[in-house]
Amino acid sequence: MKSVLLPLASALRSGEITSVSLTEKYIARIEEKNPQINAFIHNCFDYALESAERADKLIKGGNAPILAGIPFGIKDNICTKGLPTTCCSRILENFKPIYDAAAWEKLKAAGAVLLGKTNMDEFAMGSTGERSVYGPCVNPLNGEKVTGGSSGGSAAAVCARMAPYAIGSDTGGSVRQPASFCGVVGFKPSYGAVSRYGLIAYGSSLDCIGTLTSSVSDAAIVFDGIRGRDDRDRTSIPSPTGKKELKGDIKGLKIGVAEELFEGCSSEVADAVKEAVKLYESAGAKIIKMSIPALTLALPAYYIIACAEASSNLGRYDGIRYGYRASGYSGVDDMVIKTRSQGFGDEVKKRIMLGTYVLSSGYFDAYYKKACIVRNNIKAELEKVFGQCDVLFAPTAPKTAFPRGYASTNPLETYSADMCTVPVNIAGLSAISIPCGADKEGMPIGLQIIGARGADLTVLDCAYFAERENAFAHCDKGEDDYEL
Amino acid sequence: MAISEEEIKWLARLSKLDFEEGELESFTRGLDEIIGFADRINSDVAGDTQSIREVEGECDALSALRPDVVTPSSPNEEITSNAVSERGCFSVRRVVK
Repeated sequence: MKSVLLPLASALRSGEITSVSLTEKYIARIEEKNPQINAFIHNCFDYALESAERADKLIKGGNAPILAGIPFGIKDNICTKGLPTTCCSRILENFKPIYDAAAWEKLKAAGAVLLGKTNMDEFAMGSTGERSVYGPCVNPLNGEKVTGGSSGGSAAAVCARMAPYAIGSDTGGSVRQPASFCGVVGFKPSYGAVSRYGLIAYGSSLDCIGTLTSSVSDAAIVFDGIRGRDDRDRTSIPSPTGKKELKGDIKGLKIGVAEELFEGCSSEVADAVKEAVKLYESAGAKIIKMSIPALTLALPAYYIIACAEASSNLGRYDGIRYGYRASGYSGVDDMVIKTRSQGFGDEVKKRIMLGTYVLSSGYFDAYYKKACIVRNNIKAELEKVFGQCDVLFAPTAPKTAFPRGYASTNPLETYSADMCTVPVNIAGLSAISIPCGADKEGMPIGLQIIGARGADLTVLDCAYFAERENAFAHCDKGEDDYEL
Repeated sequence: MAISEEEIKWLARLSKLDFEEGELESFTRGLDEIIGFADRINSDVAGDTQSIREVEGECDALSALRPDVVTPSSPNEEITSNAVSERGCFSVRRVVK
């Protein structure tokens, strides 16, 4: 892990490169790599070059924000005014939002250069990056493996050096898990730390915008660029407090290790994470082994709550106000049914149906209400945990990247792959995934560092220790071709 | 548990979805599997005596309502730009004869 953004920002300021030349370089890289990887599904190269020209003027004027002039990609479920935003679904084909998401608004104001929209599982429902109407995204490290998901395009774009950083969203692990599968850094801030305004809703009480970068330093820079209180998001919270500068100071840091977060993990994954724990211990951190029994029900609770919210949120797609509209219908009701049946993919339909089921009369108490109780129990237990320790260490995913096509024949195993990440969303916590090892095929293993809600800077600083010490250098998988 | 095709049809009606006869069987199997997965929630959960209002929790103490002030809305032509529209209105087939 090493910063890409700091040297780029420095070279832009010294005049060594211009934003236009840098943008042209990334466009060429996308044109070369994207046909095999399918990370970008809508490009806006003309717009990027115009933005780069403006950024060059901004930088010349002095005092430009650090992200000025640096290109990036953004997940296709984040609204970009006038540019396609489809959630990789037929039902939003040709949809161009009439407003910008708050996160993109901030980046735009900072002079960032948008290259295009990145591929994803339809409506962020998936853990492989394969369930997209634009076709699957392929893992740049091994063409036979999935990228993970749902922010698979954003992770692959960073991994394949098609963008220095990318923005994703994380409802149950959708930033951290693809980061783990592609060997990059995925940061999911505390719930509410980044405004959800303009993020197309899946599970509103869980959704969170996050970052995909090559390093922890870069994650901190991008997070700083997109965070902040926003009146347009009812759940937005004030920016986290605490030291802003990363030091990687872990002496005396209390690290919790919960046995439940290792259940079902492959030995390679468990061993790599345990090695990372030892490394931190040898550098002065205090390790606290613990059990968090409520986590055993986190996965079913997550799927019930996420699908219940999805069934409500996706009720708005009726073919009347935006998106795809079916033809050949007999009346308005028939039009809505045909539009939704033709517009949504199978996984989305399945989750809408599950959500409808758990909210329906006769099943509400047995499923949705119980899931809310489990969520409260998990929150309460984790609150106690963060009274005893500063961060939790866990694997990001129980296994490394699946082979392509595996999820369609093993759906429940794919759902189970979220077991280490969903507790974070259920309790609104902050967490990061950094590469800490590789399996026997050379596919990356992710270490997940979890902090309390609002402890985003503690999480970043803890992860930065590994970057500063070059502790997991053997896991750096990306092609190192950042010549300026 | 096993969900029947009749229940699937009922759920589909509530969800405003429709399935061809040919795809109903595989969809029923898939949904049955995921409901079985969600059913693990019923293994050992206390607190059933609480109301849904209690278990859903109070509003987040950290968040706050914005001032109740009227702000400009988007222009009509922008709002209808992604839809089938006529004279500034969303257009659907006549429902009242």
